[in-house]
Amino acid sequence: MRSVSLSTRILAASAVLAVLVAGVFALLAHAVWTLDDARAREAHSKDVRASTVVLEKLVIDLETGLRGFILTGNPRLLQPYNRAARELPRRSLELERLVSGNPGQLHRAQRLRAEIFNYIRDYGNQIVNIAPENLAAVQSGDSTEEGKRSTDAIRKQFDALLRAEDTRAAASAASAQTQSHRAIGVGISALLVCALLILLFGLYLARSTAEPVREVASAATNLAAGDFSVRLAEGGPGEVGELTAAFNHMAEELERRGRELQSQNEMLRESEQKKSELIRIVSHELRTPLASIIGFTSVLLNRDVSPEERRTYLEIVDREGKRLSGLLNDFLDAERLDQGHLHLAPELIDVGKVVAEQVRLFEGQSDKHTLDMELRQRPLPVHGDPNRLAQVVGNLLSNAIKYSPEGGTVRVVAEQENGLVRVSVRDEGLGIPEELQQQVFAKFFRGDATASGIPGSGLGLTIARSVVEAHGGRMDFESGRGEGSVFWLELPVAAGG
Amino acid sequence: MTLSVEARSKTILICEDDENLRQLIRVVIGAGYHIVESGDGDEALELAKAHHPDLVILDLMLPRLSGMDVLRLLRRESGADGTHILVMSAWPDADGAAIAAGADAFLQKPFEPDTLTAIVQEVLGDPEANA
Repeated sequence: MRSVSLSTRILAASAVLAVLVAGVFALLAHAVWTLDDARAREAHSKDVRASTVVLEKLVIDLETGLRGFILTGNPRLLQPYNRAARELPRRSLELERLVSGNPGQLHRAQRLRAEIFNYIRDYGNQIVNIAPENLAAVQSGDSTEEGKRSTDAIRKQFDALLRAEDTRAAASAASAQTQSHRAIGVGISALLVCALLILLFGLYLARSTAEPVREVASAATNLAAGDFSVRLAEGGPGEVGELTAAFNHMAEELERRGRELQSQNEMLRESEQKKSELIRIVSHELRTPLASIIGFTSVLLNRDVSPEERRTYLEIVDREGKRLSGLLNDFLDAERLDQGHLHLAPELIDVGKVVAEQVRLFEGQSDKHTLDMELRQRPLPVHGDPNRLAQVVGNLLSNAIKYSPEGGTVRVVAEQENGLVRVSVRDEGLGIPEELQQQVFAKFFRGDATASGIPGSGLGLTIARSVVEAHGGRMDFESGRGEGSVFWLELPVAAGG
Repeated sequence: MTLSVEARSKTILICEDDENLRQLIRVVIGAGYHIVESGDGDEALELAKAHHPDLVILDLMLPRLSGMDVLRLLRRESGADGTHILVMSAWPDADGAAIAAGADAFLQKPFEPDTLTAIVQEVLGDPEANA
């Protein structure tokens, strides 16, 4: 399961924090707005009071004007009354407009206006109309008593309106304060929570990014110091998981390549060892024929010898010289095989003829061995290089003789079967132990031959098999310890042959 | 194989698997010694027991029983009876091991015939003088 990526987590956490901070800001803005609102309502309350006070003053003007007129009968003194009566409707409507948002106050203001107009209509205007004719009547106790009742009722309305306005203002101020206090409290708490969350977020970032990065850095240092076995615990969110997985992959690759280099080094060392072993073998193998050549040459040069002896010694020098040359050719062939430059000069040949020639050549070499040849068909046509194939057959014969030191019969069979020419050489010699059989065709492999004093370069079979394979054939053997060996080769029959 | 039957002549055992080299050694050391020879280690040991040679010329690479084994067995079985052993080898670095195993001298192949003659005469004395 793929875990949520680190960048997604960081984005999500940042978004949550941003929402929280925005929330806190909104709360504080709400507190400020509440306070502003409270201030506006306070101002409105003041306007309502001022407007009420103006109305009160106008009502007092009404009263004062009427009272002066009643006492003196002088119409000039009615001036304040008339002015106030004219002014009153406008001022009343102004108050009503101010309190229009509050049904209770509006009702009170309307009742106040009704009371004031009732006073003007039912009392004030009556007085003004009656007084010029009957001043005594308006000055009577009944009349003034009626006026006083009316103004008392008006004053009560004023008081109720002002009281209600005061109560309303006080309540709204108190509520605004509570609300703003609460908003500020919540805002500060939320700010603290935000600060804490930001801190936790920072810690999470440090843990989820800085720590893995530090671990990778320390592992990389170990890696650089050569410890290729170092691995990180895989997992962790998204990118961290990818980083550790990529690091581990890199470490594995480095370890694998290190091992490859090591094994290559080992192979180089082995090949170096083989090369120095080759030089030892080459120099050893060259020294034996050289010892005969140098020794007999010196004898011929420095001693008196009979003509028969001279001939014998010269024959030995000649034979050993050729053996030396053959060894050098083997080494050169091995070198050519290494470079892949084995040169063939193929022509149509009879393998039977090649085998017969080689058998004849080797027959004279050992008086302990009997060479028994059977050519089942003649000719055995093959498209091949006669010298190279002679070298191969000669190598098999030479081995059969060398590795059966007790003597015995070496049986050579050449035949044609299923489109193949097959040559086999069977000896009655030491045989090849099973554990060594895999290496028989390996370059410089000589088994126990070196310790047993059997001469050779360890190259003959390697070259022989390469030559046979270059002809499109194959070569192998069957053997067991103490049972002798059969080496055989198969070559394709030449087309039309 | 007996080339000389003189009763007082010294006996030399040649152990060498290369027939040409056996012939060369024979020619170089010349007549005047009783010479026995063998091409493998086992036979060489038997000949040594039978003939009590004064000098053994021993190649290290022998079939069946290596020259080093022949050298060790000769020294163990007949260490005190004064047999001189000359080891010959184509391995140039074999001299130390051969001397350590009891060889009196080491000769590297290929060798100068005169050097071999000199060693044989030094060990056994001049056959002409003995005769």
